[in-house]
Amino acid sequence: MAYPELARDPAARGAGKVILAAPEIQRVVDRLAHQILEKTAGARDTVLLGIPTRGVPLARRLAGRIHAFEGVRVPVGVLDVTACRDDRGLRAATSALPTDLPPGGVDGRRLILVDDVLCSGRTARAALDALAQLGRPASVQLAVLVDRGHRELPIRADYVGKNIPTALRETVRVSLVEVDPRDEVRLHGDTPQGGEQ
Amino acid sequence: MSVTHEAILVLEDGRTFVGEAYGAVGETVGEAVFTTAMTGYQETLTDPSYHRQVVVQTAPHVGNTGVNGEDDESDQFWVAGYVVRDPSPRAANWRSTGELGDRLAAEGVVGISGIDTRALTRHLRERGAMRAGVASNGTDAASLRERVLAAAPMAGADLSAEVSTAAAYTVAAQGTHRYTVAALDLGIKRNVTRRLAARGVTTHVLPASSTLDGLLAVGADAVFLSPGPGDPATADGPVALATEVLRRGIPLFGICFGSQILGRALGFGTYKLGYGHRGVNQPVLDRTTGKVEVTSHNHGFAVDAPTDAAADTAFGRVEVSHVCLNDGVVEGLRALDAPAFTVQYHPEAAAGPRDADYLFDRFRDLIEGAGTKGAGNA
Repeated sequence: MAYPELARDPAARGAGKVILAAPEIQRVVDRLAHQILEKTAGARDTVLLGIPTRGVPLARRLAGRIHAFEGVRVPVGVLDVTACRDDRGLRAATSALPTDLPPGGVDGRRLILVDDVLCSGRTARAALDALAQLGRPASVQLAVLVDRGHRELPIRADYVGKNIPTALRETVRVSLVEVDPRDEVRLHGDTPQGGEQ
Repeated sequence: MSVTHEAILVLEDGRTFVGEAYGAVGETVGEAVFTTAMTGYQETLTDPSYHRQVVVQTAPHVGNTGVNGEDDESDQFWVAGYVVRDPSPRAANWRSTGELGDRLAAEGVVGISGIDTRALTRHLRERGAMRAGVASNGTDAASLRERVLAAAPMAGADLSAEVSTAAAYTVAAQGTHRYTVAALDLGIKRNVTRRLAARGVTTHVLPASSTLDGLLAVGADAVFLSPGPGDPATADGPVALATEVLRRGIPLFGICFGSQILGRALGFGTYKLGYGHRGVNQPVLDRTTGKVEVTSHNHGFAVDAPTDAAADTAFGRVEVSHVCLNDGVVEGLRALDAPAFTVQYHPEAAAGPRDADYLFDRFRDLIEGAGTKGAGNA
């Protein structure tokens, strides 16, 4: 898994550069599942909450791998954070998926928020606010496929699939076959193309 | 490894992993244990303490330095089976004389690769070391599991005779000869005699069935109890020998299995650890100096001795000199009223860090002290 030349490569500015292809994403998700199992005493009392859009299929994949490794069924839910975002006036407030909690809710359980890209930390903060309206989990952790840096809030992930050091003008786009044509993580230059973070 | 055979690993509780054959193609059964060592697989494979064990390497990439003619710790590979996530397709090292896969095949070690060793290791950590089988000869999982369940467990296994030297041999001191040590071979590693030789000690390595008179007949100034495989609860012969060594006041040093034997001779019990200590980065506290050393471990059993204060035994006061900082397990015993001490881990390293090499100095000093006091040779 070689690191591509990032911003210097002209190709990275247009179609972007593939940072993780499908087999690498699979391996990263496997490792995240192992790490979750090891940090949660076998995923005991644990709920995975995906943040739409791509956090949801990611959470389902993690649950699938955890089941494959240890035979444990981890409940998966959806947490819509749109209403708690701090940029509601700045961008269209369309929520792709409504909040959908697994049976048993969140009270007293270990919640793991799952998202595709961690950048400013504002989505994670919104998720914490959204959670506060739903109950009182025993603890909340954060799992992300990609951490690209540039935090604007004191937020940090407990599980990181891949750290991708980026420039601010670059964007990271995660595609997952559940919602996109293929599995890949792509780094684009300074031309935003919608859906990136 | 031109042809790839499918291989299976079946644990006694039925969990099954499917991968590819590595090393010899066939079938094997043993106790599944994991080692966290990132280096030194050749030393691991040739360590007699791994006799009858299926060794899982947690390090994901193994075989990248091949094998060489220098790193064997005994005359053969001892592991019952070998489990590797991702074998190196080609050795690349200036000392390498061959590929690990070829040597495993030549030594008849049945292995498996390409399985999720992280999941397997966690399974063993949480449920304890257990019997396992590896097969690459087309055996189905159900019949392999039957043979796994029929195999003798490690608890209660008396293996010293299976790994001990058939005939006595001598490793001469380097430079000036100062002392003679009789080593009871219960599965000794070559680096033990090397570390002794470096201190002017000539070591006579004697079969596990030797008597104390046989040991002393070589003119020994001290007795060494070697590391080795098996359940110390079965080692009645060596325990009786160690008891007599204590009674006569002959200087005694022991490593690993040898430490458990001294423990039993002093009246302590031994017990089987959940999944054992195997690796080269285990932190141990030397309570006599307060120093922490990073050490090489390979033990599935331990001595049950009180760690809070010195215990009174038939041979006077005995203290726990070393403890493992991960789990508080007894890692060393020191007799305060007799010239005897042992450690549960491996100061000879091979593989591993050399932090604990000073223990061989302590042994030399013990022999020296005993000699001047005239309390040594019977």
